[in-house]
Amino acid sequence: MTDKILLSRMEAHPADSNTIARYLDTGGYTALRKALSKMEPADVAAEVKASNIRGRGGASFPTGVKWGFLPPDTRPRYLVINGDESEPGTFKDRMLLERDPHQLVEGIIVSAYALDVHQAFVYIRGEYPKPARRLQRAIDEAYEAGYLGDDILGSGFDLDVTVHLGGGAYICGEETALLSSLEGRRGEPRIKPPFPAIEGLYAKPTIVNNVETISNVPWIINNGGATYAAIGPETSSGTRVMSLSGHVNKPGDYEVVAGLTWRDLIYDIGGGILDDRELKAWVPGGASAPWFVPAEHLDTPVTIDDIAKQGSMIGSGAVIVMNDSTNVVGAAHRLVRFFSHESCGQCTPCREGTTWLERILARILDGYGRPEDIGLLLDVSDNISPGLRWPPAMTTICPLGPSATAPVVSMMRYFRDEVEAMIPGGHGEVADGR
Amino acid sequence: MADKPATVTINLDGVDVDVAAGQPLIEAAQKAGTYIPRFCYHSRLEPAGMCRACLVEVEGPRGTALVPSCTTPVGDGMVVHTKSDTVEKAQAGVLEFLLANHPLDCPVCDKGGECPLQDQAFAFGAGESRYVEEKRHFEKPIDISDLILLDRERCILCSRCTRFSEDISGDPLIEFKDRGNYVQVITFPDEPFASYFSGNTVQICPVGALTAKPYRFKARPWDLEAVESVSLVDTIHSKVSVQASQNEIIRIYGVDNDATNHGWLSDKDRFVHDHIYAEDRITRPLIRENGDFREATWAEAISLVGERLGSFDGAKVAGIGGARSTNEDAYAFSKFLRSVVGTPHLDAQVGDGLDAKFAAAVTPRAEIGDLETAKTILLWGPDLKEELPVLYLRVRRAATHLGAKLVIVHPRRTGLDGVATHSITYRPGTGPDLLRKLAAGDGDYAAVRDTLSEGPVVALVGRAGLGEDPDLAEAVAAFAVDLPDAKVMPLLRRGNVFGALDMGVAPTLLPGRVDVDDASGRSALEAAWGSLPEGPGLDATGILTGLAEGELGALVLNGADPVRDHPTPSVARAGLDSAEFIVAFEMFMSDSAAYADVIFPVAGLGEVEGTATNIEGRVQKINRIVPPSGMARPVWSIIDDLALAMGSEFGAASAEAVGDEITRVAPAYAGVAWDRLSWGEGRDGFVLPTADGSQPLEYTPVDRSVPIVSGHRILHTARVLYDDGVIVRHSSGIAGLAPAAAAHLHPRDASVLALAEGDLITLTVDGEVTLPVVIDPSLVEGTVYVPFNLASTAGLGAVGTLRIDAVRGGDA
Amino acid sequence: MSSTWSTENQQRAEEVLGKYPEKRSAVMPLLYIAALEHGYVSNDAMREVAELTGLTSAQVQSVASFYTMYYREPVGKYVVSVCTSISCYLRGADDVLAAIEEEAGVLDGETTPDGLISVEHVECSGACGGAPAVSVNWELIEGLEPDKARDLIKWLREAKPEVVFGDEMQLLFGGRPSFDWGPKEIEGAIAPLPAFSPYGTAKGEKR
Ligand SMILES: Cc1cc2nc3c(=O)[nH]c(=O)nc-3n(C[C@H](O)[C@H](O)[C@H](O)COP(=O)(O)O)c2cc1C
Ligand code: SF4
Ligand code: FES
Repeated sequence: MTDKILLSRMEAHPADSNTIARYLDTGGYTALRKALSKMEPADVAAEVKASNIRGRGGASFPTGVKWGFLPPDTRPRYLVINGDESEPGTFKDRMLLERDPHQLVEGIIVSAYALDVHQAFVYIRGEYPKPARRLQRAIDEAYEAGYLGDDILGSGFDLDVTVHLGGGAYICGEETALLSSLEGRRGEPRIKPPFPAIEGLYAKPTIVNNVETISNVPWIINNGGATYAAIGPETSSGTRVMSLSGHVNKPGDYEVVAGLTWRDLIYDIGGGILDDRELKAWVPGGASAPWFVPAEHLDTPVTIDDIAKQGSMIGSGAVIVMNDSTNVVGAAHRLVRFFSHESCGQCTPCREGTTWLERILARILDGYGRPEDIGLLLDVSDNISPGLRWPPAMTTICPLGPSATAPVVSMMRYFRDEVEAMIPGGHGEVADGR
Repeated sequence: MADKPATVTINLDGVDVDVAAGQPLIEAAQKAGTYIPRFCYHSRLEPAGMCRACLVEVEGPRGTALVPSCTTPVGDGMVVHTKSDTVEKAQAGVLEFLLANHPLDCPVCDKGGECPLQDQAFAFGAGESRYVEEKRHFEKPIDISDLILLDRERCILCSRCTRFSEDISGDPLIEFKDRGNYVQVITFPDEPFASYFSGNTVQICPVGALTAKPYRFKARPWDLEAVESVSLVDTIHSKVSVQASQNEIIRIYGVDNDATNHGWLSDKDRFVHDHIYAEDRITRPLIRENGDFREATWAEAISLVGERLGSFDGAKVAGIGGARSTNEDAYAFSKFLRSVVGTPHLDAQVGDGLDAKFAAAVTPRAEIGDLETAKTILLWGPDLKEELPVLYLRVRRAATHLGAKLVIVHPRRTGLDGVATHSITYRPGTGPDLLRKLAAGDGDYAAVRDTLSEGPVVALVGRAGLGEDPDLAEAVAAFAVDLPDAKVMPLLRRGNVFGALDMGVAPTLLPGRVDVDDASGRSALEAAWGSLPEGPGLDATGILTGLAEGELGALVLNGADPVRDHPTPSVARAGLDSAEFIVAFEMFMSDSAAYADVIFPVAGLGEVEGTATNIEGRVQKINRIVPPSGMARPVWSIIDDLALAMGSEFGAASAEAVGDEITRVAPAYAGVAWDRLSWGEGRDGFVLPTADGSQPLEYTPVDRSVPIVSGHRILHTARVLYDDGVIVRHSSGIAGLAPAAAAHLHPRDASVLALAEGDLITLTVDGEVTLPVVIDPSLVEGTVYVPFNLASTAGLGAVGTLRIDAVRGGDA
Repeated sequence: MSSTWSTENQQRAEEVLGKYPEKRSAVMPLLYIAALEHGYVSNDAMREVAELTGLTSAQVQSVASFYTMYYREPVGKYVVSVCTSISCYLRGADDVLAAIEEEAGVLDGETTPDGLISVEHVECSGACGGAPAVSVNWELIEGLEPDKARDLIKWLREAKPEVVFGDEMQLLFGGRPSFDWGPKEIEGAIAPLPAFSPYGTAKGEKR
């Protein structure tokens, strides 16, 4: 197994991995020096492209390809780092920001150089003041050291970075909603196309990348894109920080190379199932992802493609584990409630549909389920995401609405009898826990 | 002109159709005969794509996908399914979602019967709702302004109202609040939806969430009769649908057209109609007797007026007014005064306008549509938001959506400054000087001059204030016509004033834009009319002075109120006071009508038919939907009787017959017979001149302006949308909306005079008024701004030396 | 510049406005500063932000109300936010919320009569590995058990700290974190808004 890329510094130097002194001491800002002194912007972009790295924000889009969409002549361009991390189950960007902020700052500077960007923004969710403070301190240190500001390291390249705090809205993680929010508007997703690379912040070409994605850039520049690409399977290159939570004994953030199995991840890395109970199901890639169950998926590999083939996604890398004490209606309700609460409210199917699903599930939990609610749950879901397939068909502007159907459909697919058992007059067995 | 739009071929439900490129699929489908449901989409708003009612399937490289047809542009070869099972299910699903929280109060909803939600639920919905949960609750209708009620339970959150307010009108006072399932449309506490355009949101609301107080519970849509007409509230002549129930006009809606208003109206256009039912409307002829008016029969009133007017030497009689008339009425007025009475003294303006020849015949003259392609717009004239609100919308659109650069020159900040590339403020009186610097690109003006050098240029010119010399507008126009690819639009605001000028209600013009001094035009008219007095006559100011000095004896007022509207009210009062005989054609006892000896009650909005000519010279049809109130009659028919009483037979059997005569007698109007104006391309009217062979006047503006040497502080007075004119005052919906008047002072002037906000000061110009002070940094130092013709500013006047007396100083 | 704000907050506003290419972008940070000035995002606060950014008050309200962290009603000195999303739910967040409600004597969404403590449930706090999680004025505590949650409320009521520090509370009341928190954090929250300069933060002196 390869050495860790993203977490090595914080693991080796827990007391001060966030400081510039430690960062420099452990090879920090060498990628920046290398890029500015020895590489043309296009070379930097070429390395990133060669790394085959795919975005860690959820959509797994190849970063180098995205960068290539920028129209060649329009200026200014902006780079926006997505640190909104609000997908239930996900807490990796928080760690990267708190524990190794310079890694991100260096990634930003190198990426901005590659993209001919002179102003970058980092959008951090409002509930993350500490990660924002840590990052801001790193930025301040970088300014002081001459890594940010005018004429960086005498190269003639200028860059300013502004940290922007959100106000409490998951949808601002969606890149166009994020840009609306950053412009001082409601965090409502925009119709695509135009994509941000063409028309983004202030209607100017903008690259939006996740915190983790950009944190990989210094390593890629130091070691070469090809070296990065060689780690793991071809279409899931590099390492990825996965957030384990729920009913495992050792929840936490783990940096892994794709290709291990779910069993490896949940039992070895995650330390097995809480309270020594049976594994019932898990969410493989954040709240939006359809669930996996041990009988079908436990020994399948964790790669972007394998997961997709089985009808789910790696998303933001958040694995939420449920043991057999879990009441699936309760779990589905919590997930659906989240989407209803976080819907921006623009699209009728999302605004009305997620709330309707949430109400039906709440009613079933309260003991007022009706036999027809089973079909209704599925049909309302179908009206939000026709065909209930994967990847989801959309009746909405952004995938949030369809995401809310994933827990409902998963619950019905694997545990329909448990749902029926909760409806008065129904039969079957209800789980004992929550 | 614009190139013919390129077409693309799409396959719509299995049939190949050619459609214009660049339009949204929803429009293309509709033009091809397939209606796709929609709620948020509105052809005059930027598509939001959020209601998701318009989903259709489009085949793509990665299979078939549901896409909103309102935000998807048509593309060549696109394969579209609007009726597949998936589409039908998705559309029905959206409708069910929308109805989930919609109350079932259609029977008591103003929108019931004309509700897109009701209609489309019927056409595309599934029927029964399966939603058994509690619906969203909000306080039932709440007032969000003096005119608008909001019922949030009915709202389907299509954002049409918020997009209109933010993008089109520039008044983002109504907005979404909260998020997700809790989203609602609302204003800010204590900041009402006080927009001059608020009524448009009622019209475009696809449900009964926004309703207009004046219309509330007045009628059901299926009881309504409607006619298409134009609004004579200002010179844009916005296209309207006038709607009546049981012979009573109860609503005016905007009608979409490219030519003028894009369907939008100002609230004044929309809510002005009920003045025709005002209790104190004059509905019978009145004759003055022992100082009071008494009601009379038409026969008595006509013969009295015929007798009295006949007793004067023709040249001692004069006529003022016509801007409230149709072209037919104005023509009859002109013909009567000139050919029967025998006077050349007539004027449709009241000293507050522009040179008649300039206004009627400036070349090249801009059309409203030219704003769509203009690169640069020069606006040196009135604050459009106050005086020509629909033109404000068109100019705003050009600046915000079409990339035009806007240069505004005005004595203070106007409603458009926020979207202007350059806005210049100046002290009234110093305009000629400023114009010279601007033309030369001196110093600070170099950048402005550069902007103005990019054509096509549309120059909108008028009097920025009532104290401004009208010659300045002409000087600005003279400068502007030489700019690249430039056209000029003279800005006059009052009703059908352009029509009246075109009908020869002007001291220097004969019907059809013929110069009074044009020999061949004169002889043609003389042949038609029998006789025609010599030479140019007096303008309104000349007429009023002539009356005061005894050179004139009698006055015919046609819907004009010089006491309120003339920039020097004392001149108006002196003239009316001295007149030996005054007859007024009126709907209300205006300050001027009060001087009359006889008042003829005239028909008004919705009660008359005819034609009218707007600010671009566009002739459109006005239609009638209700009979005149009481014994009121249209002006042309009163005049017909009057002419007969004075021995001349006009013999007009109808307004249309008068219209026919206009096409024969007035050269520029030769091609616009009524029947052409009701169908096809004529529905939006025609911009004159359309006839060939005739030779209407072409007028090139000249710079005759002289700088005014002014006193220490100068008054700037200009109109506001809701003033104290008789029509607004009698329209119950908007009568209360006039702003509180104040004297606006530049902060430095206020400090020199030791005045604070709220202090009372007395201003004297022609008359004297006392007003509270408002500190207004948007003024140029040395200027005092007061709105013209509000109840508390009437009589101040606009021209003369300004005196300021503090009534109560600051607290300190 | 609006005149009613303290000089310090006016400076903060200036600073924020200077960070963005367009004034409107400063709306969100300005709303936090307004909350600091007014105690919460009152109508007056929104009016002032409107003035600073050239928007209408209705536009500012529209933005502020979209987000959950701009409290438009007065809240307590300490806002205790209990995460009840899926991972915390699976780990017993509902019991933590119940314990906090009981100890504080108010229900979810309410503020104690003395204006000290507001309790609310929130969606995912990004502490799923340390579930169940609670934050006080957005300073996080992970691995909180119901009993410890009661202690937290008691402590807030008694100690009434002027500044709350996540580290301190984690030490006193927390359990297993999502990850090793590393070095001590030097800044904490002075009000129920994210402790981030230029608004809402204080450096710990004796730390
Ligand atoms: C509802 C929704 C929420 C999202 N939340 C996040 C988020 O919190 N963080 C993130 O980086 N990406 C999030 N994304 C993905 C972003 O839209 C975008 O794809 C990503 O930031 C791009 O960065 P990447 O290519 O580096 O992954 C979200 C997407 C959706 C549809
Ligand atoms: S799907 Fe939901 S969250 Fe996404 S844009 Fe539509 S309403 Fe907003
Ligand atoms: S009409 Fe297309 S989404 Fe509303």
